[in-house]
Amino acid sequence: MTSEAKPKKRFHVKTTMILILFGLGIYTAFLGPTYLRPISPVVVLPPEETGLSVFGFPITNTIAATLLTDLVLILIALSAYRFYRQREDVPQGLLNAFEVIVQFLWNTVQNAAGKWAMRIMPIVATIFLLIFTANLIKLLPGFESIGRIKEIHHGTGYAPMPLLQIGDFTLWTIDKGKPVEVEDHNEESAAKGEPAKGDPAKGDGAPCHACEVVPFLRGTATDINFPFALAVTTVFLTQVFGVWALGPRYFEKFFQFRQLVSGGPFGAINFGVGLLEIILEFAKILSFSFRLFGNIFAGTLLLSIVGALTAVAVPAGLYLFELFFGVIQAYVFFLLATIFLSGATVAHGHDEHH
Amino acid sequence: MEFNEFFVEGMKLLGAGIAMLGAIGAGAGVGIAAAGGVQAMGRNPDAASIIQTNMILGMAFAEAVAIYALAVALIIIFVG
Repeated sequence: MTSEAKPKKRFHVKTTMILILFGLGIYTAFLGPTYLRPISPVVVLPPEETGLSVFGFPITNTIAATLLTDLVLILIALSAYRFYRQREDVPQGLLNAFEVIVQFLWNTVQNAAGKWAMRIMPIVATIFLLIFTANLIKLLPGFESIGRIKEIHHGTGYAPMPLLQIGDFTLWTIDKGKPVEVEDHNEESAAKGEPAKGDPAKGDGAPCHACEVVPFLRGTATDINFPFALAVTTVFLTQVFGVWALGPRYFEKFFQFRQLVSGGPFGAINFGVGLLEIILEFAKILSFSFRLFGNIFAGTLLLSIVGALTAVAVPAGLYLFELFFGVIQAYVFFLLATIFLSGATVAHGHDEHH
Repeated sequence: MEFNEFFVEGMKLLGAGIAMLGAIGAGAGVGIAAAGGVQAMGRNPDAASIIQTNMILGMAFAEAVAIYALAVALIIIFVG
């Protein structure tokens, strides 16, 4: 009796919560004051600076998000280590999910790499966990919406609006009801000088005249540098593993001199194909990095635009879609890295043809 | 802004849109890969895990073309 009643009650709690959130969404998006309405963020390709810096090295918002990801991963790893030290048999909570993931990765790597699995696993699992966590953490609220307010130099900005004041600290928001057009015609210096003049005259301490928000945190993979660095590392390690497994024979894949000498007319073609393999290695870097970057950046773009157009219900479905794509992209990157790394450890077979 | 600048702006957006036509082929490719994978899994359910791995791999390679198109479009809009 009680066991029947309990889930029913929880279901009602959830339904009520969802309905309240739904109503709140409709209120802020359509009925409430205009400064609560969602604004499509200004989309820029390069990562923006948050204003912080470490030893003169500026921290961009994607680096900040990467540091957050690292922190989460390190905490999970520490708790996994503590669990391992306790020598209990049944992992609990988050560690359960972690164990499932690691087991899944291990099976995949073992199927692909055989006896090299033990050496390849740490690299590809690190890549998977980093991309996986980064892609999931990017969906948290606060990403791409909370940040520094900045004067824009062309396009449409919005007037600032004080939302909350705690002591000296004021929380500003930007008002969708008051768009400000900034024309950057030939007197660009005048446009730049304007806020400096206008600021003290206004006297209310508004940080800018036509504003945009520069977020403190932005999805790690929306910065082309992150996938590019991972791709370069992977392709470089592919060469390292190839030489490790096969020695100098690994380079026969690229320079097939033996084919050129003994292969007849087709030997020359094979030699040319071998040279093309070098270009293929560089193409790997490009396709690797653009795949991850393109997927995640396009997802972010879609979320921000659709989220500003229809604030209720639709973005929830898109978030689910993004969740799925974040996991799939992490898996694809991991799988390709595994295949490339394990492929390099196997001799390039022209022996079995004859 | 002069007429020419408006014209260039518009043509940029048009070019970005045309660049995304490359996604047609990738979409067809991903669809074919999925169809083949599902058929194979239906015929031989025991090999489902291997087929799935290779199917996702093939889809990723097919999709790469669409991603190149997307990168070109993004570069046209935001960089060029």
